[in-house]
Amino acid sequence: MRIPQLVSPEQQQRLHPIGTVLTVVGGLVLLASTFLPWAYSSAALDDMTILGYPSTLQLYAAGFGLGAAVFAFLGRRLARGDGRQVVGWTRGAKTASVAAAVYLVVILGSIGLELGGLVNVVYGGWVALVGALVALVGSRLLVSGRPPRLARRVPPAWLGILSIAAAMAVVLYAAYYGLDQEDAGGFVSFVVVAIGAVAVLFRLGVMRWLSAVSGRHRKVLIFAAFLTAFAFPFTQNGSDENMSIATQVLIFAVTALGLNIVVGLAGLLDLGYIAFLGAGAFTAAILSNSVFSTVDWHPPFIVVVLISGAVSGTLGLIIGTPTLRVSGDYLAIVTLAFGEIFRFGMINLDGTDGPDLTNGSNGIPGVPDLNLFGLDFKDTHTVLGIQLGRFANYYFLLLVLIAVVILIFVRLNNSRIGRGWVAIREDEKAAEAMGVNVFGLKLFAFASGAFLAGVAGSIKAHHDVSVTPDQYIFLESAFLLAAVVLGGMGTVLGVLVGATLLKLMPEKLRFVEEYRLLIFGLLLVVMMRFRPEGLVASKRRQLEFHDDDDELAEKIQSDIDEREATGVVPVGGQA
Amino acid sequence: MTQSFFQALADGLTLGSLYALIAVGYTVVYGIVQLINFAHGEIFMVGAFGAVATFVVLGGGTLAWWVLPIMLAGGIVAAVLVALATERLAYRPLRNAPRLAPLITAIGISVFLQEAVRLFYGRIPGFPDAKSNVQFPNIQGVTGSPFVIGGVTIQRAAVFTVVALVICTIFLYGFVNRTRLGRAMQATSQDPDTARLMGIDIDKIIMIAFALGAALAAVAGMAQGLLNHNINFRMGFIAGLKAFSAAVLGGIGNIYGAVLGGLVLGVAESMAVTYVPGVFGGSAWKDVWAFIILILVLVFRPQGLLGARVVDRA
Amino acid sequence: MRNKRLVIAGATLLAATLTITGCGTRSADTGGQAGGSGSGSQKVAKIGVIAPLTGDLAPLGLGIQNSVDLAIKQANEKGTIPGWKLEIDAEDDTATPDTGRNAATKLAADDEVVGVVGTLNSSVAQAVQPVLNSANIVEVSPANTNPTLTKGPNLDDPKRPYANYFRTCTTDSIQGPFAAQYLFGVGIKKVATVHDKKAYGQGLVEAFTTEFKKLGGTITDAETINPDDSNYGPVISKIKPGAPQALYYGGEYPQAGPLSQQMKGADLDIPLMGGDGIYDPNYIKQAGGAKVADGDLATSVGAPTDTLASAKQFVTDYKAGGYSDPYGAYGAYAYDSANAIINALKTSLANASDAKSARQATIQAMSSVSFEGATGKVGFDQYGDATTRVLTVYKVDNGEWKAEKTDEFK
Repeated sequence: MRIPQLVSPEQQQRLHPIGTVLTVVGGLVLLASTFLPWAYSSAALDDMTILGYPSTLQLYAAGFGLGAAVFAFLGRRLARGDGRQVVGWTRGAKTASVAAAVYLVVILGSIGLELGGLVNVVYGGWVALVGALVALVGSRLLVSGRPPRLARRVPPAWLGILSIAAAMAVVLYAAYYGLDQEDAGGFVSFVVVAIGAVAVLFRLGVMRWLSAVSGRHRKVLIFAAFLTAFAFPFTQNGSDENMSIATQVLIFAVTALGLNIVVGLAGLLDLGYIAFLGAGAFTAAILSNSVFSTVDWHPPFIVVVLISGAVSGTLGLIIGTPTLRVSGDYLAIVTLAFGEIFRFGMINLDGTDGPDLTNGSNGIPGVPDLNLFGLDFKDTHTVLGIQLGRFANYYFLLLVLIAVVILIFVRLNNSRIGRGWVAIREDEKAAEAMGVNVFGLKLFAFASGAFLAGVAGSIKAHHDVSVTPDQYIFLESAFLLAAVVLGGMGTVLGVLVGATLLKLMPEKLRFVEEYRLLIFGLLLVVMMRFRPEGLVASKRRQLEFHDDDDELAEKIQSDIDEREATGVVPVGGQA
Repeated sequence: MTQSFFQALADGLTLGSLYALIAVGYTVVYGIVQLINFAHGEIFMVGAFGAVATFVVLGGGTLAWWVLPIMLAGGIVAAVLVALATERLAYRPLRNAPRLAPLITAIGISVFLQEAVRLFYGRIPGFPDAKSNVQFPNIQGVTGSPFVIGGVTIQRAAVFTVVALVICTIFLYGFVNRTRLGRAMQATSQDPDTARLMGIDIDKIIMIAFALGAALAAVAGMAQGLLNHNINFRMGFIAGLKAFSAAVLGGIGNIYGAVLGGLVLGVAESMAVTYVPGVFGGSAWKDVWAFIILILVLVFRPQGLLGARVVDRA
Repeated sequence: MRNKRLVIAGATLLAATLTITGCGTRSADTGGQAGGSGSGSQKVAKIGVIAPLTGDLAPLGLGIQNSVDLAIKQANEKGTIPGWKLEIDAEDDTATPDTGRNAATKLAADDEVVGVVGTLNSSVAQAVQPVLNSANIVEVSPANTNPTLTKGPNLDDPKRPYANYFRTCTTDSIQGPFAAQYLFGVGIKKVATVHDKKAYGQGLVEAFTTEFKKLGGTITDAETINPDDSNYGPVISKIKPGAPQALYYGGEYPQAGPLSQQMKGADLDIPLMGGDGIYDPNYIKQAGGAKVADGDLATSVGAPTDTLASAKQFVTDYKAGGYSDPYGAYGAYAYDSANAIINALKTSLANASDAKSARQATIQAMSSVSFEGATGKVGFDQYGDATTRVLTVYKVDNGEWKAEKTDEFK
């Protein structure tokens, strides 16, 4: 998605000085305005009625304003050469201005919606908007200049590691702060801020620098990422409220990662993936100690996990064997039909229309909590003076699972098998001619994806307490697929982002509940039309989806050259 | 015993005619652009809602027989317009994209159309709320007391459905074989590149394929409304899936195959309800049987009953 | 091209601005909590509501929410619990177990919550029960009819799974047999049954079948339908040869209405009978009006509202409350549920220092609750089920539900 160029390059050359002045002035006006009251009542967002003391949300606006002003100034004032060109000051200023304008529209819009009309926006808000718009207009007149070269700078090891730690701390704080937003307007504003900040850092070249640094210190990065995730429950102060959302996000993300092997790596569209999660969950529930269980054999959980995975994997083989031989389109529909068969099956195996296995649509409630290695999951434990409740226990277990799945994903992707999948995705006939075992590899992708879903399902059964057929419907498959598509097919980070967004949005944005599916459908269409490679794109995928875009191909080629020159290994999963 | 056999046959043919009418849409589009228009089930739903909309706009609430063709026309117009819009706005820009892209788009359209009808249909003044079932007008002549022949009950709407299928099939045969456009369609489906060189406007042909499928789906929507006395925004999902199975059963890309496949699938489903013994009989499993037939066809005869031109064996 | 885009963008923005600005009024409250009114001396206890507030079932859920709100307002006005101010905290479960569990965790995390009214769906209740139970919060459902929620999986050997769970409505195991006794009593000896395979429908039909057979009746055919189905032709074709005198349907009105209509259209002109899931004006609409639905029957719990003084009072108060949504099928039960909790709070909060410490005592106080509610006498047995067993059979007459017979179930 490219922002259309409103001013031609020649005009920019001519008007650049004016642009700088406008951007700086606009940015400073915005900064100053945050000390004025914005809203008539404190009921909207956070308290924006106070003169002389900015609220948190106002501080974010101040940040964007200051950023726009300072970057525009530096882009103009620094000496030619390194100072000006290593960091993309001007690019950063432009993005900061856009972010500031969008943010203000969202903030003022929220105030208007929550208090009933824009009359409730006080003079400070209008000053801020004017500042942001001036900065926006000014920044459009700036010449972007050459792309930043910050990524080529190799910092000392301690600085690199410190930056990674700092980045992770920011992520942790963002997760804590974002989940803490009860109010929909506050949550949306926060999301806009987060996206804006990331975009600004991207344009400045900092993100690339960070990704180059983390490429050099991969182990540190991975360790830091897990440490961050591990630390999250400790920020919740014993409250289960956000932890229950966090565990659902993790279950969803694990399943989406499994689907990503099938869709993102092997290029097979599976529309019945939720059935494998369901099969795992039902298996685990039936074999659990639930009083509603219909089978008299209750093996320990470790065995149950493997059985659940095996059941799902076997179902994958059964459904995959006939359909993977014919064209990919059939697979989509057959898996869809399979999802429906699964649902009807689970509803019908109730003792009247079939053998009693699942209690029909009542499902199997009362699945007991896990008890692993002497740790009872239903208990609250106190670690370092902080209480960790039931959901925190599941959170840690799921964290281990997601680590394993990511490991499998990355290992598969970078192996012979992964390259086979790429070949199949790009041209099946050519791959076959080159001696790739097309059918075998496809079947392997399908069955291993199913296996992982089954494993995730076995934990979900205990986490959810009750397992019913109506939790495993087509729409859930579509949501999983959307997480993969939205985030970026074939990437780990993308799917994590996609899964988090898709699970968190409906929890935090209750007012769109009614329109949730409508927006969701539209989102799929628009994504496929404008950015089919997803938010976090894998380079190869990006090229596959834009094979007639030479400019992009060149850009990616130059990136690769640059990486080779600096000897940086690409970061996790983005083959 | 024979009575229940003929009852099942009659039910099956009715159901099969519905499937056949929808399946033609899948097959025509697939034959030309090799695209499974997953949202076709929703076009069928839109057709039914378009018919009700026409009835409401007509006012008066008269149920005389002459309302039927007007409603049908309204339904067809609605379905065709929506189908063309999806083609133009969503599918056409993706024509050269990897195959995954249009399929995912199709899912998006499908969800979008369902939700759009659910949320906004009832907000138009005078229109019934579409969040639950919407009553379908009981038009005289095609609803009312059923015919009973030798103990077999045949609904009037069932007669309408089967007759509609026969007329549509004759019309299709005439269109595809006797008109310039029809022949151009055949040519495009056989070899799009050559067809383009021969001066055929491919975009136009694709639009006609979408329109043709949508028109027949609207007829099916009307028939389902008359049969069940009500319609709802979810009706396209399972019906679309079954119709796709019918298209594959007949040989996707083959128009007559779709008709035959629909009838066979409908009768098979109905017979399964009546004759499969034990707990797996009965209507609880009927959808499962239909989908199992789909999978079996793909295993043993992927080209379908009548043999399709395109089956991409990997 | 470029200009065109700008114009479109501008127009959209303008339209959006107009929508937001339109009918803008400054909100009256400036200082947030308007202080005063001696709220400093009053401690706060919250009663939560978990029900679908958006989506298809929202009308029922909003009715529940409003009725609880009404009960709480009345209690605060009367000063039922001295020294305490009651508040409502309504959470949306969107009729799905996952969301319901989130709502329950959220309420459990709030130290001021002492009780919860909900849920509407039995499937959501299964997810909510354990969460609230581990937090010792009493849950009273106005609408869950699945017997296993109070008696465990084996109904012949009942064991109460969660001590915190109560309900004011009766279960399927009472409604089904009541219907069987009625039908047998009016001389119908041959009945076919159909259910939608959901917990509610299946439970009703099973209970009905057992009782009907015990009375000496014949079940000519037992069929099921799929809730997503809209064509019941195959089922009707299977039932017809058995020549039943009535059809007993377990399920809700969106399926029951069309089933009745299609059945009568297929020349099988027998009455359809169901539970409180079809006792709704929408049933008659869905069945195609008075001509088709006349003669169809439904059971519902409690005596008809116009015969009970407390019920009439509830209806009047609800109307006076100015709620924009109707109280719906479960409003009266929700009102009674909230009042049951409030009654228990009278004992448990009396000597409590804060709301959280009163949770356990509230559960214990529930078993001795007894008062005259909007649905009749409210009280709970040792499993947490409602003790009242008065039911009414309603019949569609001229396109309206009319009470046919009210009786105590034996």
